[in-house]
Amino acid sequence: MDLELLLGIGRFLLATTLLLLLTVPTAFVIIQMEMKIIAQLALRFGPNRIGYKGMFQSTIHGFKVLAKEDAVPDQADRGTFTLAPWMVYMAAAMSMLVIPFAPGAIAADFSIGIVYFFAVLGLSVVGLLVAGWASYNKYSLLGGLRSAAQMVSYEIPLTLSIVGAVVLAGTLSFSELIAWQRDHGWLLLWQPVGVVIFYIASLAEINRSPFDLVEADSELVAGPFTEYSGMRFGFFFFAEYVALFIMSSILISLFFGGWLAPWPFPAELGGFVGTVYGAFWFFLKTYIFVSIAVWLRGTLPRIRVDQLMGMAWKVLLPLALVNLFATAIAVVAFNL
Amino acid sequence: MAHVRRSRPAADTLGRRRALSVPITAGPLVRSLTERLGEDVEHLWTDEDTVEFQIDATRVIDVMTVLRDDPELAFFMLADAAGVDYGPTEHLEVVYHLYSWKHPAWLRVRARVNRADPRIASVTRLWEGAMFHEREMYDMMGIIFVGNRDLRRIYMSPDYRSFPQRKDFRLPDDAADSPAAGVNPLERPETWDLARFRDAPGVRTPALEAEDRATTAGELDGGGA
Amino acid sequence: MTTVDPDIRIPDPIELDAAEEARLRAAAGMMPSPAGPEYSGFEMVGIPDRPPQTEREREMYTLNEGEMLINLGPQHPSTHGVLRLVAKVRGEVIVDMDLVLGYLHRGIEKLSEYATYTAVLTYVDPMDYLSTMHNEHAPAIAFEKLYDIKAPPRAEYIRALVVELNRVFSHDLMMGFLALDMGGLTPILYSFIERDEVVELLSAISGQRMLFNFFRVGGVNWDVSDEFISRLSTWRSKVDKLIEMNEWMISENEIFTGRTKGLGVLSAERAISLGLTGPNLRASGVPFDVRKAHPYSIYHELEFDVITQQAGDSYARYMQRVAEIKQSIHLIDQIVDKMPHGPVQAQVPGIIRPKPGRRAYGAVESPRGLYSVYALSDGGPNPYRFRMRDPSFISLQAMPVMMPGLLLADTMAVISSLDPVMGGVDK
Repeated sequence: MDLELLLGIGRFLLATTLLLLLTVPTAFVIIQMEMKIIAQLALRFGPNRIGYKGMFQSTIHGFKVLAKEDAVPDQADRGTFTLAPWMVYMAAAMSMLVIPFAPGAIAADFSIGIVYFFAVLGLSVVGLLVAGWASYNKYSLLGGLRSAAQMVSYEIPLTLSIVGAVVLAGTLSFSELIAWQRDHGWLLLWQPVGVVIFYIASLAEINRSPFDLVEADSELVAGPFTEYSGMRFGFFFFAEYVALFIMSSILISLFFGGWLAPWPFPAELGGFVGTVYGAFWFFLKTYIFVSIAVWLRGTLPRIRVDQLMGMAWKVLLPLALVNLFATAIAVVAFNL
Repeated sequence: MAHVRRSRPAADTLGRRRALSVPITAGPLVRSLTERLGEDVEHLWTDEDTVEFQIDATRVIDVMTVLRDDPELAFFMLADAAGVDYGPTEHLEVVYHLYSWKHPAWLRVRARVNRADPRIASVTRLWEGAMFHEREMYDMMGIIFVGNRDLRRIYMSPDYRSFPQRKDFRLPDDAADSPAAGVNPLERPETWDLARFRDAPGVRTPALEAEDRATTAGELDGGGA
Repeated sequence: MTTVDPDIRIPDPIELDAAEEARLRAAAGMMPSPAGPEYSGFEMVGIPDRPPQTEREREMYTLNEGEMLINLGPQHPSTHGVLRLVAKVRGEVIVDMDLVLGYLHRGIEKLSEYATYTAVLTYVDPMDYLSTMHNEHAPAIAFEKLYDIKAPPRAEYIRALVVELNRVFSHDLMMGFLALDMGGLTPILYSFIERDEVVELLSAISGQRMLFNFFRVGGVNWDVSDEFISRLSTWRSKVDKLIEMNEWMISENEIFTGRTKGLGVLSAERAISLGLTGPNLRASGVPFDVRKAHPYSIYHELEFDVITQQAGDSYARYMQRVAEIKQSIHLIDQIVDKMPHGPVQAQVPGIIRPKPGRRAYGAVESPRGLYSVYALSDGGPNPYRFRMRDPSFISLQAMPVMMPGLLLADTMAVISSLDPVMGGVDK
């Protein structure tokens, strides 16, 4: 067989394994951040026992869910009940494939990376819907239905909000998009409305507060996750935080220059040093946006389901369309 | 015409007379009450901040309607409705407390209910909020409110059979002659041992007795531990 | 061994002859009953799995096409205790709602008939556990009327001081819980910080943090020291800022107002009819406040106005609490200024035996509304009958009235705005 093909397969397997392994510490770090930041907002100490200043609290939580009993309700549909956490987790993990961490550190630099990303991310709604249906629980069912309505609605403004950026840059590949931003400045400056729409819609897409209606602990107990326990629940829990990381990283890759430093990136900086330098900026920017999401969770109450849908269809969608047309006209008029 | 009786004539001589926290004049209220309700007012009595009278239980709706809707009385608020049991040989009583903008005193209306047939008309048509009061009285005292659309047990479970706040229902660990004597209430839910309570004196309603006749006694035996 | 009859049920108590019912309905100005023979073919679906006992229960638990019952409680993250709300929903829209109580019923009224008058004051503490001082105040008033004594002026001032302090933290917690039930995680912790400040004060005066056991028949347990007054003024200097901080997080928040304004609206007439009292009634525009309407303790000596809101929705009920916190702080200032010197306990024997046949009604304005006690004496050391009217018990009746047509998510916003405490509801 072709050696190059074998090497390609090997490289792909290595990359996916690394990415899957990366999801776990990512979730731990974000959970820890959330516990600490919300505690600071509420004038509490937060976890401060395990490790230095409690830094291993979330890790311990992770091991704890492994040790819990894995209970399946009697009336639940066993097959789909088992499948649902896996579907949600894999949707999150698979979309990590196209994230541009640093120059030369993209697992799969597709030419249609952006299309792939949205296609795969949309799969998680199937997992949530299945979880809600299979649990044989009314809270779960309502949560699953809410997730379907919410995520399908918000995918439209989410996708439309970046079409403007794509039109400007003329590419669907993440690395080419970042290259374009190196030459022309961050897309934030070109697409300010798109950034706002994308950020709001992305929070709704991954069920983060104030759009966490799917879980809605004070209404639906835990939404589709009500009947899940042990590591099955852990998968949902991890997937939620991994999705937050992914959304933040996509946001910075699309609009905030990705791995680029705020000042002109030294193009001659290549190889390993360039990768590390790029990864530094990538993670810094990503975690800034993760922190903002955590901050919002500590500050805002939850929005109601009809207000949520109204916002998607009546505000964000028209705004995204206007943004798209304005961008398209500008591109034609000024020959950008 | 009912007579007015002052509440505590001897208090001054005891040196303990309690100064009025609210200096009120019950005169206008007493006058309007006797004017509007006439024969319905029995045993009118005034306290330092309460005006009280008794009515015939069959006249509850009529009296309450006048009290609420008459512009001079205008007792718009049902502050409280409580049941009182005066013991196995006496009667039950429903006590209403009302409040009006026009008069600074609380108005207390007492209606006697026959213990053998504890029925009285519901006032939920006048005050929706009387619903929970009446359900509680039905649950605790066994008073049946005729015309109440939702007269269910409210605190006790639906299959509970006795009325805990009647005087012949004694607390289990308190009296040897109580139907539940010697039973730890936490270990033995009362509903498991219904026969003991069905034999208890005085906690009967005609409705329950009618069912007794229809059911053979053996079927409901709880059967010890 | 024999088994219990599975078909056991209490016969329908509302069977009455048609003539009598027609007369009663005519007297009450009512239409004929909507329930008639056409209801005979019903089928019970879901809970409870027994025949319905009343018309209303039959109506509630009969499901039409596309409806389902969903239990919120008794164990649920946001039902303020062990309340069980059975919601009949069509999708997420609530069609009807039923309340199932009794999960916390301890029979305090009955137990009180077995306790001396002084001991009753300890029994009422855990009822409405967020307004413990008010719980003790009403029985103290009633028993003093029964026994015909009067607490010394200083005791009355101390009473007014502690109940107003209690009102501050009770309303303050309501602000936090309302936000928490809508998913806001932080305000509740700010509320608890403020509550802790007040509770520290009250524990300095009573020795307890939650169930204060501070009131006595004819006075209060302990006098307040000058040190306490200085601590109070320290608290006073920072409380405005604390309240403002919490209010700032909630009141103007667009999501919060969007979820509370126009929801659970009760007109003044409906609120009165439903027996709502306290802030819930005043939020509907009825200026009924027991402190003004029927002044007890020293409230006739204090200057304050009855605050009302006009809207009658959840947001008005919230704003009413915020305004009342400020009013209570204002009252505390006046009480501290006017507080006289003297004894704090009248001469009362260890065991009180009021004259037989005495009956007394004591009512106070608790943070949840009209809290009243009706006590009867038979001459013995125990009350013959001890009746408590808890405001949250009565105000819960508004839930089935307000909820139809709203969404399941609104249940929490509406019930939190009523601020029920299940310890009081279930007695």
